Amino acid sequence: MDLLAGFNHQCLSAPNRLAFSEAERSISYQQFQQGFQAVAAFLEQQACANSCIALLLERGILAASAVYGVLSASASYLPLDIKNPPERLNLIIEDAQPRLILGQGPCPAWLNARDSWRDISQLAPAPNYTPAPLDPEAIAAILYTSGSTGRPKGVALTHRAMHNFADWARLTFGLSADDRIASLAPFHFDLSVFDLFSSLAAGASVHFMPAQLTLAPTRLSHWLQTQEITCWYTVPSLLSFLALKGDLANTTLPKLRTLLFAGEVFPSAQLIRLAEQLPQVELYNLFGPTETNVCCYWPVERRRLQADQPIPIGIPACDAKLQIDPETGELLVDCPNNFAGYWQNGALHRISTDNAYRSGDRVSLNEFGEYCYHGRLDRMLKCSGYRVEPAEIEQIIRQSPLVEDCAVIGLPDPTSGQRPAAVIVFKAAHQLAQLLPSLKTQLPHYMQPTKVLVKEHLPRLSNGKIDYCSLATLFEKP
Amino acid sequence: MKQQLRNFVFQELIFVADPNSFSDDEDLINAGLDSMGIMRLIMFIESQFGVTLPDVEIDPDNIGSFNALERWIVSHQA
Repeated sequence: MDLLAGFNHQCLSAPNRLAFSEAERSISYQQFQQGFQAVAAFLEQQACANSCIALLLERGILAASAVYGVLSASASYLPLDIKNPPERLNLIIEDAQPRLILGQGPCPAWLNARDSWRDISQLAPAPNYTPAPLDPEAIAAILYTSGSTGRPKGVALTHRAMHNFADWARLTFGLSADDRIASLAPFHFDLSVFDLFSSLAAGASVHFMPAQLTLAPTRLSHWLQTQEITCWYTVPSLLSFLALKGDLANTTLPKLRTLLFAGEVFPSAQLIRLAEQLPQVELYNLFGPTETNVCCYWPVERRRLQADQPIPIGIPACDAKLQIDPETGELLVDCPNNFAGYWQNGALHRISTDNAYRSGDRVSLNEFGEYCYHGRLDRMLKCSGYRVEPAEIEQIIRQSPLVEDCAVIGLPDPTSGQRPAAVIVFKAAHQLAQLLPSLKTQLPHYMQPTKVLVKEHLPRLSNGKIDYCSLATLFEKP
Repeated sequence: MKQQLRNFVFQELIFVADPNSFSDDEDLINAGLDSMGIMRLIMFIESQFGVTLPDVEIDPDNIGSFNALERWIVSHQA
């Protein structure tokens, strides 16, 4: 099955149903189809089949049209994080080597690959466009994430893999044409696969949440109420904000029936608060790295919630076969969702499909036969829901001619999961003030070290490797 | 008050190259203050300055800069 099949079916049976709303604008399934077919026709003219097409667009209807248009033209979409600093975006573009970069308006001044820029906001309609059949094994999306080698890398997902997740979610959460789904996840986050594909395959409508609501919790709850949102897939930190500061006691959400969350651990005390305030809402903890999308899920059992007990990640999802490495406790995932390989240097580097994906997550089984998460086996951090490889931050810091050496670790943070902290050794005198502005231009805010220590040397183990364990103690207050 | 806010924000919530050159009117949201940071900041303010800040007033208008924060807190001090 390809990713557009569900939409095509719904569009045929009820073309006038609402597909998307964004601020004051709303469009039907048919209008959406006309919009994305204009993109697809444009891409076909430029012979873009089987190539990678980057999207530099704000989350919204135009970006959704670009996603569907790229797929319809048998190409793969690569959604760029427009909040990333230009230097990192240029780095990702240089690595991905997209055939085109689709955006809105004139080419941004900072973009190096200027010849690839195409403004898709004023495309002519393509009433005679006939879509070609799609190959389920073709790469549909390339989602760039932080890389442990120090450079960002693209997780490449086939139509079949994404469809497997989208369809599982549609059926598991019982989505139908009555659903009104809130969408906040940027498209480079895999949460957006649900918003973009599970939704429209069910005949539901998708409502783009204005970003500023994430900073105004009572306006957020009011928006959920007035938009009559029935289902929302988001990150725990926002649901905590809603539970603690959203004035839910005075804002009833009678239409809301399902909340899904993933991306970070939901602190139990805050989840209990949310569960108490929204007694009619079904809550689900979804788990999985971008490479597998959701491989594990836990329907929240309210009576089992305890403030001092972390919640489990649950049972296999999406027909995943899960195993635990007996030596290390690592979660091994064999799932139809699994990625095809990493996209690097403009090409797909396939991984062997014979082996299960080694997630790097340490897990165990509890007495109910559910999986429980115990942290990472490697150095990967989760910062405000983003996956962050310390090696990528270290690489950027080490590029500076001022720096002799550095090491980055995660410090536990009561609200963000973890925050990066850096220990830096300078070649000459203390030159932090000269170094920091360059970090600002190269790292997105969630990768900025929140604490920095300047030391004469890094603590090392007897084998010469950096002693990351003792680094953490340097940050403890005396 | 502003100095206490600045110390807390720069030590706990966001990292800026040179805190001294970050003006009291500069945009904290652009500097990386997110929903979780706001939640911690409000907890800090409420315990530190003995005020209760109503949920409905949590808004970029009131938390967007140190000057805005100070005005907001002062308006709730008895």
